[in-house]
Amino acid sequence: MSAARIRSAFADAGVTGWLHAVDIDHPDRQVAVGADEAVVLASVFKVPLVHTAFREVDMTATALLRPDHRSAGPTGVGGMLDPVTMSLRDLAYLAITVSDNAAADALVDVVGLDAVNRTMAALGLSNTLVVHRAREVFRTLAEDAGPGDLAPKLADPVVLSRLRALDPRRTNRGTPRDMTTLLSAVWLDPDAAPLRRIMGMQVWPHRLASGFPFDDVRVAGKTGTLPTVRNEIGVVEYPDGGRYAIAVFTRSAGTALTLPAADAVIGTAARLAVQRLR
Amino acid sequence: MDLLRHLGNFLVVAEELHFGRAAARLHISQPPLSQSIQRLERELGVELFDRSGRQVALTDGGRLLLTQAREVLAGADRLHALAARLRRGEAGTLRAGVPPDLGGKAVAALVTAFRARGCGVELKLREIGTAEQLRALADRGLDVGVLRHPFDTSWLGLGPVLTSPLGVLLPADSPLTGHDAVRLGDLDGLALVLFPRATAPALHDEVLTTCARHGYAPTEVHQAANPDFALGLVLAGGCVALHDGVDPPGDAVWRPLRGRPLAWRTSSAWPRGRQTPATRAFADAVEEVLRAKGMSPAEGTLPRFPRPAAEYLA
Repeated sequence: MSAARIRSAFADAGVTGWLHAVDIDHPDRQVAVGADEAVVLASVFKVPLVHTAFREVDMTATALLRPDHRSAGPTGVGGMLDPVTMSLRDLAYLAITVSDNAAADALVDVVGLDAVNRTMAALGLSNTLVVHRAREVFRTLAEDAGPGDLAPKLADPVVLSRLRALDPRRTNRGTPRDMTTLLSAVWLDPDAAPLRRIMGMQVWPHRLASGFPFDDVRVAGKTGTLPTVRNEIGVVEYPDGGRYAIAVFTRSAGTALTLPAADAVIGTAARLAVQRLR
Repeated sequence: MDLLRHLGNFLVVAEELHFGRAAARLHISQPPLSQSIQRLERELGVELFDRSGRQVALTDGGRLLLTQAREVLAGADRLHALAARLRRGEAGTLRAGVPPDLGGKAVAALVTAFRARGCGVELKLREIGTAEQLRALADRGLDVGVLRHPFDTSWLGLGPVLTSPLGVLLPADSPLTGHDAVRLGDLDGLALVLFPRATAPALHDEVLTTCARHGYAPTEVHQAANPDFALGLVLAGGCVALHDGVDPPGDAVWRPLRGRPLAWRTSSAWPRGRQTPATRAFADAVEEVLRAKGMSPAEGTLPRFPRPAAEYLA
């Protein structure tokens, strides 16, 4: 019943959606809508990355990010103009809270993608694979779109249909169920408090959090965005102790960059799922 | 038993009437050939060759069965050849969907243009909307379709996207008919007749967002699935309907929109990885017909400003 309502919410918002939600403390209680389909992670890959980083390396070490060497992006260090020296844990803070591409790629350079994939496999995520950094995602985007101004081309459906970055077989990928498995592990691991803290400080209000406009409910999450791709994975915690891991992945029919309804349905679908679990 | 292989061997022995020469022609040694013929004789319960004389001879039964064996083998060849053509998409039926509002002339032109490409495939057209076509393409009820954008293209191959700029249908007594073209903002205060939102929510919202962007906030949005009903609402006064201007209904007045802010975008689409020469021929035919209808590739892209929440595009 709830799966049908979630599907119809996705359709009403003009998106195709895949969702998995699970009660972290009663994992037999689940809601699944295409939960085992391969999906493009986009910036959601920063959660496997940062979880691995906190386990594998000394996060108080510092890194120097020079403007001509670091990855670009609209937020965080990726959008700054001058050299930045920062601890790895503060880079993790920026990578998660504002999806800073420069910070995330700097962490990959320290941790390595192999370590990320090893850590995810050890957690039982058999359908998740991180094959490149944010920088390579944007490189393939530009290569596949062809020369000229990128933004208008990314609204052309014919261009979109040939982007490797939107093909789960050829970019960073996972499944909704794999992502809730990861979130449950993070929320049940006493050593993962630093990642829980920064996921709770993510700034974006328009997706998962929009479904829970309640001051006594905590929403921690990480978004992922590419042309027509809008994702968020996160954990919703109620004051009665109920906590739910939710992963929502969508592809919009419309190619506009700004589609508030497609963002908001991530929150709507998540709330429908949580209502079912509570 | 491998009947076709044994029949093939039977044919060669019957032509050579000599097991040694037949074996040489078949590039096998004589014992397996003799065994093959014996197995065939056991299977059919009929002796095919008389081996008692100096020379091998066909029995009467063998001679009669030889004719049938040739037909069976020829039939098997035809079976494989047809299967190969089907695999290459050169034969059989192509099931294609077209939007209900494509227009009778365009449908006829599409069938003609597809036949002209001569790929020996029968075209079966179904008149269905975008959402239904997507479902049919997904569950293999359709091979190819003509669809109105936007839709989720993540699993589809696409032909060129062609656009038809939209104008508006006005009642004849509307003061706006005094202009050659109408600005969207001039429509403020009027209601809008649009297709039902549930049939294409993304396009529905896109149209209303574009109207808002250009200063037109319809006082009301009437949902009309049927063009006649839409026309009726326009003629009754107080609302406008969108129309591409091809054969507009005579009792209303059609005016283009200044700056072409709205357009229907159409392309052929097929499930990625399932493209055949027939779907390619259909996609070419669609492009030819839509261009003849006055549609053209989108031009003059507007600037687009990604917001920081887009996470990409610095």
